[in-house]
Amino acid sequence: MTIRHKKGILLFFALVLVLAVATACTQEAAPEAEEPAAETPEAEAPAEEEPQELETIIFGDAGWDSLRLHNAIAGFILDHGYGYDYDVIPGSTPNILEGVIKGDVTVLMEMWQDNVPIYPEYREAGTILELGTNFDDNAQGLYVPRYVIEGDPERGIEASAPDLKHVEDLKNYPDLFPDPEDPGMGLIVNGPPSWAVTTIMEVKGAHYGLDEMYNISGSGTAAALAASLSAAYERGEPWVGYYWEPTWITGKYDLVLLEEAPYDDDLWNEEAGYACEFKPSDITIIINPEFAGKNPAVTEFLTNYETSSALTAVGLAYMQDNDAEIDEAAEWFIQEYEDLWKDWVTSEAHEKVMAALK
Amino acid sequence: MEKIRVENLTKIFGKHPQKALEELEKGKKRDEILKETHHTVGIGNVSFSVHEGETFVIMGLSGSGKSTLIRCLNLLNKPTAGKIFVDDENILDYDKKALRQFRQTKIAMVFQHFGLFSHRSVLENVEFGLEIKKMDKEERVTKSLEMLKAVGLEGWEYHKVSALSGGMKQRVGLARALANEPEIILMDEPFSALDPLIRRDMHTELLDLQAKLKKTIIFITHDVNEAFKLGDRIAVLKDGEMVQIGTPEEILDNPADEYITNFIEDIDRSRVLRAENIMRKRSLKIGKNTAAKIALEILNDSDYEHGFITDRHDNRILGVVDADDLLLAIKGKLPIAEVMHTDFVSVSEDAYVKEVLEIAAATKYPVAVVNGEGEYVGRIQRAALLKALV
Amino acid sequence: MNEFPEIFELNAGDYVETFVKWLTTDHMAVFDSIRDGILAFLLRMQSIISFIPWFVIIGIVFIAGWRLKGVRSGLFYTLMLLTIGLLGYWNDTLLTISIVLTAVIISLVIGIPFGILSANYKRMDNIVRPVLDAMQTMPSFVYLIPAIMLFGLGMVPAVFATTIYALPPVIRLTTLAINSVSKEMIEAAESFGPTPWQALLKVELPQAMPTIMAGVNQTTMMAMAMVVVSSMIGAKGLGYSVLIAINRTDIAMGFDAGISIVFLAIIIDRLTQSIGDKFRHDE
Repeated sequence: MTIRHKKGILLFFALVLVLAVATACTQEAAPEAEEPAAETPEAEAPAEEEPQELETIIFGDAGWDSLRLHNAIAGFILDHGYGYDYDVIPGSTPNILEGVIKGDVTVLMEMWQDNVPIYPEYREAGTILELGTNFDDNAQGLYVPRYVIEGDPERGIEASAPDLKHVEDLKNYPDLFPDPEDPGMGLIVNGPPSWAVTTIMEVKGAHYGLDEMYNISGSGTAAALAASLSAAYERGEPWVGYYWEPTWITGKYDLVLLEEAPYDDDLWNEEAGYACEFKPSDITIIINPEFAGKNPAVTEFLTNYETSSALTAVGLAYMQDNDAEIDEAAEWFIQEYEDLWKDWVTSEAHEKVMAALK
Repeated sequence: MEKIRVENLTKIFGKHPQKALEELEKGKKRDEILKETHHTVGIGNVSFSVHEGETFVIMGLSGSGKSTLIRCLNLLNKPTAGKIFVDDENILDYDKKALRQFRQTKIAMVFQHFGLFSHRSVLENVEFGLEIKKMDKEERVTKSLEMLKAVGLEGWEYHKVSALSGGMKQRVGLARALANEPEIILMDEPFSALDPLIRRDMHTELLDLQAKLKKTIIFITHDVNEAFKLGDRIAVLKDGEMVQIGTPEEILDNPADEYITNFIEDIDRSRVLRAENIMRKRSLKIGKNTAAKIALEILNDSDYEHGFITDRHDNRILGVVDADDLLLAIKGKLPIAEVMHTDFVSVSEDAYVKEVLEIAAATKYPVAVVNGEGEYVGRIQRAALLKALV
Repeated sequence: MNEFPEIFELNAGDYVETFVKWLTTDHMAVFDSIRDGILAFLLRMQSIISFIPWFVIIGIVFIAGWRLKGVRSGLFYTLMLLTIGLLGYWNDTLLTISIVLTAVIISLVIGIPFGILSANYKRMDNIVRPVLDAMQTMPSFVYLIPAIMLFGLGMVPAVFATTIYALPPVIRLTTLAINSVSKEMIEAAESFGPTPWQALLKVELPQAMPTIMAGVNQTTMMAMAMVVVSSMIGAKGLGYSVLIAINRTDIAMGFDAGISIVFLAIIIDRLTQSIGDKFRHDE
């Protein structure tokens, strides 16, 4: 009893000591905190020369990596080239869209408009401002790992569906992709339930007659979808499901997009069963109109901002391969593709950004 | 016959009892050991033995180690050192199975707060021990019903134990212990949670039951009166050590030390002492045919005022006389039988002083004491009564 | 002074990731058989539940409510179930029940023995306690992804994640329950020389039952709380509807599905609570 008591007292004093030291440190550190710019090399940009009271730019992060990369690239350039502070706020696409309308979110670097049915209404109403295309060479649809079709001698995987090319070929392989929750049926992993594309995939499935032998089943969240694919790939198991590029997944894993008929406007509706490949989606950059009006330099820069799916995938692959943080990948990208972005910015901003990169 | 023999029993509480045990063996006191090693000596070096069929009371204040001691006897507490022989077997040598067997058949326990199972009915509580022994349902129910009847709980068999009063609960506890037909019953302050009136009833009940069953009972109490009332022999425990063992009278007459003297100070002696303890042994012999003159001489030679007249053959008391009566007889030449008074009172030699007090108040003569056969064995003068009480 | 020196770096997460990857690639057979087991159980449960006609289920709930709590409660639960049906969430509710029930049953099968062991072995308790703390405070998203890696998408990882979240209360309360059986009652039992099993089954467990039932109730409620989270890894049911509603900012749908979850939770809570009350006995 008494021993324990003593231990308790000791512990208490130890805690008090730690707290005291901690408080002392914060007090010491407080004056320094007023000038953090001197500490961090990135902030070395001549902030004093810039007009004060710039609004902070809030980027929306709707949860996927290519968007994060573009946020970081645009953020870095706006920070060092134009002197804006920036921040990133996470949320689901609809929430971020609401944020852009209200002004809580300034910019969304990737607006996948085909996935948000209500988006055109907002655009027409002028509650948001579309600045231009970020990239439009993207792809989406049903993917399988390449080893399913071609095998992978290195990993000792035999081709289990050598004749699988077209989406319709899936009819021959329901047993290859079994649904554990529904014996006798195959499983096509669909996108998250709220995405418009998820419904489109269901219609497609019905049109191709796949729904007779497959459950086309939603995956809850994008993260769950990625984990499902990733787990199957690591194990070398067959997997078929919806995915899109550019993503780190499509950058990292060797996937094959199953073929469909070339895109045709007449086929792209529910009655016709969306019976063709996806139109490369126009991934645009959108901005809060009020902010855009007040900050023409930002608007101009973002209007000029245009990359490609392939380029984005390169940036993501760099990140994945080097285990790099998103900011590191962005800096690498800016360094690597100077020719690309130097036309988006003023020459002054160009110099500042290059200086910041050292 | 010896039923239980306890030799140098020690129980030390704490993480490293062996170390404290060494200190104890070096002769250190309980307080010192507590201060130096943070170990509590529950009981230290206790030895005693209990005879078969006797009620052995262990008495002590709270903290004296009595509960610790009684729990060592069925190994609910594992002793640190010492030996406990029951029927000449050291129960500390028992393995788990033998210990279970021992508890199932030889020994049962009654608890201060009854220790009844609130999820079971009265009957199911009594069945418990038999159930553990795997007796079949029918047999154990029959037996349990019998036991409940014996403790006067007929009609309560199927009630929840929560519906019973304290006294009734302890009857269930008692019945549960007895149902197992143990040779030894451990009773850990069984009546201390009951109110005094109920407690007295339970004492009577226990004495009656014990008269019939003749179990070996180890009874723990802090109540001196209870100890002296129930105990054939009493052991006094202080700070984990045995201070004195003896019959109630031995302890009253010769308290071993001041501690016991204080302990028994507030005892109600009238409930402990019996007639035989305070009477003066018979010294006069006057028969009904003794000549009055001789009788008067005998009486005058003694320091008594009264003399009891007895039958020469069977020693029964016939009456009582004083000097005036005898003078009257001498004058009138009457036989003693004519002048003696027959309104005397007598008590049995094992009656408690309390009872003697009650009847002594109603008579002007000394109280006669008779033995089991009704023979005159002694008398109690009023003065002796008063002396016995202080 | 305020910055933690960067040279001291600990990548605990990396080890976990490597570990999970190693499990998924090298020990798949184990997890496959666990998955198959849970799945078989789930499917059996589902087929039983969906085999019972809806009015029979409502009838059973009414009778249970009436017997356990009173006519008014019975009627109240009936009304709530009818509302769920009218809102169009009957089938989703059955799916949710089968997932929740499976997770609860697994939790009890694991939790009660663990609780008993923890009560009896201090050392085990010392190990189990912080693990339980971690299970309760670790954000569930953190283990949702490994759950998918190990068990694939759908109901099985949902049951796994739900079990992780719902398991601690039943372990904690079982330990507490066994530890708080009165010492004298245990001594009384011991004094008759029972085997450890006899003591456990005849005295400790019956005495601990009311508190254990409180644990069962809490475990069930925790499992209900995981309904929406587990739908994020593809488990169908009420949670999935809520998830869709949230993502579409569909307030009406969100409310309908949400209120159905609330009603279901209330019914399950009250019923398990009153079953627990049946085990209560006065001293």
